[in-house]
Amino acid sequence: MTSHEAAVDVPEPARSRWRPHVVVAGRIGLAVLLLIAWKVGADAAGPLYAADPVKVFERIVGDTLSGSLLRHIYVTLRLSAIGFAIGCFCGVALPFVLRRLPRLTRAVEPYIMASVGVPKYALVPLFILWFGIDDAPKLWLVGLLVFYPVFIAVFAGIRNVDRRLIAMARVVGASEAAISREVVWNSLLPFFFAALKIALPRAVSAAIIGEFLVGNEGLGYMIEHSRQSFDTTGVFTGVVVATALVLVINAVLERIDRRLNAWRPVERDMQV
Amino acid sequence: MAAPPLLEVRGLSKRFATRTGREPSPWVIQDLSFAVREGEFLTIIGPSGSGKTTLLNMLAQIDTASGGEVRFQAETAPISDPTRLSPGLSCRIGYVTQEDNLLPWRTTLQNVLFPLVVQRRLNDQTRARTEMLIRAVGLAGFESHYPHELSGGMRKRASLIRTLVYDPPVILMDEPFGALDAQTRTQLQEDLLRLWSLGRKTIVFVTHDIAEAIALGDRTLVLSKPPARIAGEHTNPIARPRDVSGIMTHPQFAALYRAIRVEVQ
Repeated sequence: MTSHEAAVDVPEPARSRWRPHVVVAGRIGLAVLLLIAWKVGADAAGPLYAADPVKVFERIVGDTLSGSLLRHIYVTLRLSAIGFAIGCFCGVALPFVLRRLPRLTRAVEPYIMASVGVPKYALVPLFILWFGIDDAPKLWLVGLLVFYPVFIAVFAGIRNVDRRLIAMARVVGASEAAISREVVWNSLLPFFFAALKIALPRAVSAAIIGEFLVGNEGLGYMIEHSRQSFDTTGVFTGVVVATALVLVINAVLERIDRRLNAWRPVERDMQV
Repeated sequence: MAAPPLLEVRGLSKRFATRTGREPSPWVIQDLSFAVREGEFLTIIGPSGSGKTTLLNMLAQIDTASGGEVRFQAETAPISDPTRLSPGLSCRIGYVTQEDNLLPWRTTLQNVLFPLVVQRRLNDQTRARTEMLIRAVGLAGFESHYPHELSGGMRKRASLIRTLVYDPPVILMDEPFGALDAQTRTQLQEDLLRLWSLGRKTIVFVTHDIAEAIALGDRTLVLSKPPARIAGEHTNPIARPRDVSGIMTHPQFAALYRAIRVEVQ
């Protein structure tokens, strides 16, 4: 609200100088509005259905001080990170292997693409049946959910590599390994980062959902446990912490992307 | 006795693969034969669409031939088998393509050093040579610029010296100065002749510009319309060193130009 008035009040020439501040003020204003809406909504719904932001904040501080929240975050992050690493590695490595085997690629491509359609969450009961109730079924879930977006993007990225650059590299004596590393990998980095923006939040979500179903630690367990004991504040706390986690991961990813793609002539990053 | 040719093309033919069910595609190049002596600057001229780039792609061993053979130092290149193709014949044939094909994520210096890095030949000596070449073509001060930060002429220079740094015995050039303005082009032609006079590489230079073919070459081959064959061969009488910008006023230019003009259809 304040932002809009400020923009109107400022005379025309000075406008550009004020615009950044206006945007920041608008964002803060929006955040305050959302918090107020949350508070009003929570009061209206009652403590059984919604937790009020003040209580959530108190809970976050309390659980952080007691160390239990950090433990849950650590467990979830560890699970996400390992599952992500496995899924991401396979998602990158497989297209590079297939690049060298065009006939095999043509044979398996329809099967891989069909397997995209399998609802991965529906496989969790099978994973529990096959891999027990430790980390393994959760890692399978996280790994698969990360694998697909990475695989599809890298696969498309490899097809998109400028063949003339590859021909040039071959003529000047680059080995196939050097071409993969230098030409192909650098060409598909934008595709890879686009995939990571999907895959990283997915890894955290998948870990949390895995923890709903199996185990006795982690943010997912914390949310589900709170729900079972009618601790709505606990549920809200889990959701807020999980969201914050994903936002932090995205911010880090954004920085890495900027650094690696600094050579690019145009600012092609979409603000998400 | 004349030295044996460094590079020899015998009965070379090319037609591209067709989709099934269509009639066979026409021959782009048919029964083409010529030879290049060591240290010779050969220019090849032909109308657009006469298969000049296709010819160079085959000489560079990045495309297969449908018939005939390419011999380098009396050794037959495996050019008819796509799985045995050896691009650049183990770094002995350099190729300056029509597009600069610089790696957009690498700086000018990294791009120019790229062949030395992948060939594991980067040492003080090759590095010094690279610096000399960068200075010789006026790219000093632009080493850390990315390709998109360079002008078209600078990108051409970078792609030219990227091939010169690793010193292949034969260099193929595919209309490297085609897309440039006349001023820059003359400048680059002079640079090329100066660099060539230092090292006397064997150069096969393809162009559609008759004046360029005359200004640069020791000998000029004229290609016919497809299927490409040799329509004419002209030994260039103009003495070196040549004045590239004033080549058209040279007394022997007009006769040579007319003779080639007639054959380029």
